[in-house]
Amino acid sequence: MRRPGGGRQLAPAALSFSGREAVISQRKKRYIRDRVNLFVFLLPTIFFVFVFIAFPIGYSAYLSLTEYNYARDAAPKFIGLRGYLYTLFQDVFFHDALLNQVKFAIPYFIATFAVSLGLAILINELVFGTRFFQVLFYLPMIIPLSLVGIIFAWVLAPDIGIFDHILRWMGIKNWNIDWFGNPYTAIYCLALARSWKMIGFTLIIFLAGLQAIPKELREAAKVDGANFLQEIFQVVLPNLKPYLLIGGIWILINSIKTFELPAVVTEGGPGTSTLTLYLYSWKLAFERLDMGRASQVAYITAAIILVLSWVLNRIFRPETARRA
Amino acid sequence: MRTFINFCQKKRLFILLLVTVLAALYISPLLWMLNTSLRPTWDIYRYPPTILPRKVTLENYIYVLTQMSGFGRYFLNSVVVTFSTVVLVLIASAMGGYAFGVRRFRGQNLLFTGVILVLTIPYIMYLIPIYMMEDKLGLQNNWLGLILPYVALNLPWGLLIMRGAFSTIPLDIRDAAIIDGCNEFQLWFRVMLPITKPALAATTIITFVFAWQEYMFASTLMTKNQWQTLPVGIVWLRDELQTLVYGRIGAMVVLTIVPVFILFLAFRNFFIKGLSEGMLKG
Repeated sequence: MRRPGGGRQLAPAALSFSGREAVISQRKKRYIRDRVNLFVFLLPTIFFVFVFIAFPIGYSAYLSLTEYNYARDAAPKFIGLRGYLYTLFQDVFFHDALLNQVKFAIPYFIATFAVSLGLAILINELVFGTRFFQVLFYLPMIIPLSLVGIIFAWVLAPDIGIFDHILRWMGIKNWNIDWFGNPYTAIYCLALARSWKMIGFTLIIFLAGLQAIPKELREAAKVDGANFLQEIFQVVLPNLKPYLLIGGIWILINSIKTFELPAVVTEGGPGTSTLTLYLYSWKLAFERLDMGRASQVAYITAAIILVLSWVLNRIFRPETARRA
Repeated sequence: MRTFINFCQKKRLFILLLVTVLAALYISPLLWMLNTSLRPTWDIYRYPPTILPRKVTLENYIYVLTQMSGFGRYFLNSVVVTFSTVVLVLIASAMGGYAFGVRRFRGQNLLFTGVILVLTIPYIMYLIPIYMMEDKLGLQNNWLGLILPYVALNLPWGLLIMRGAFSTIPLDIRDAAIIDGCNEFQLWFRVMLPITKPALAATTIITFVFAWQEYMFASTLMTKNQWQTLPVGIVWLRDELQTLVYGRIGAMVVLTIVPVFILFLAFRNFFIKGLSEGMLKG
């Protein structure tokens, strides 16, 4: 007896049906294995980012809305935005810290930017010894900031410091200044010490930019009869613009993250003359154990940094996007 | 033509001289510290000070290495914390860099942007909750209490560098490896990781330099003297020593810089490449 045609059709269909099921379940298995693999690869990142970064960010956001003395209070007391209002408008130490930050940023920016740009242009012109000088100027980058503070405290020490002695030797007799003990000079000296370490970083950026400028451009300028200074100002600097902007943004944002030097050298003093935002927040948290106010200062600092970098990136986006 | 060449050479010579003078000025604070560390104490504090030492001696170094047990302990702490941090960052960023650079998944860009954003946020913001957390968990005054936050803070740089390295590997290699019967971990470890060696080197040196230098977390989370790392410990010793003994402090500063300097010389190009990549992207 012949089986009905439908039967013949059914058999391969059934076979292919179970086959497809096998394929699908295999695919599903592979998909699950794929996801599990991906998760395993991401696991260390997720662990560290969530436990030590995301959770602290969230928790300090909550703390900044509370009043919480870590030694005295059992639990944070929620006070809403009142803490922020107090810090922003009534806290004189916070205002001092803001002002110090501006005072710090100006000489820091000028010194770091000018010196590293000048050095980058000069080093780029060198025929030999480029490597040697690069290593030399990058060297302070690897010195811990607290030790940079110790080094500068020693060089600029009153009476026995070599800097004051050189001044005396040069004939400037009545300039026996205690550079870090004087409220008018301390913050500027800290800024210069900080820029000593930062110059290497911006030098890297600027040298990368200079090496990206095509040689033909500069040759053409030379053929046209431009002297060295004309060549620098009219050919090199305009082409360097995106790198200059990136370097500038880095310096500015970096100036807000100042902690080690004032903490080690001056401890914020004399008076409040070297109290920076970081140091103030740290002192609130770990000397007064006032976690609420410390978090407010930390959050305001973060807001300043984010707004600053956002605004600067926004303004200069066309130029910075063109880099490299 | 001849005068032109002459002029060029003069200009070059002038620039070389200028850079040499600037370099000498620039490095002079460090040299002065080195100079101080090689003098006996009576010479350091004699008035008026002289540029050149009246007597060169290694007595400060010998004193620091043999008499000051604190320094040895700080050195040990720094070495343990730094090496563990570097190893953990390498593992985590090699794995994460693979996930971000080779794989595609939902929420990838969001997650990565979040990780990178961390670079701009002030560290003090993490420090307060981490301090409270470690206080509760008893991680303070413990190597682990310093290593874990250091890994978290360095991971973004490592991920940035490693993602860049993984994303430049052609996908053909991946397909070929899969056809050869590699599973994904073999593909990652045996096939791709060797290609990313330069990026691993860059991550190593950048993490090392960071962990060796870090001050704020170490000074806050390690409240007991015996757990301090070098950058903090030396400051403590400076505050502790009744009379200022700058020769010994100078010797400690030099001894702290030497290991990282050797590593820096060896990995210089990776360091510069890794940093510039991170800074230009970040």
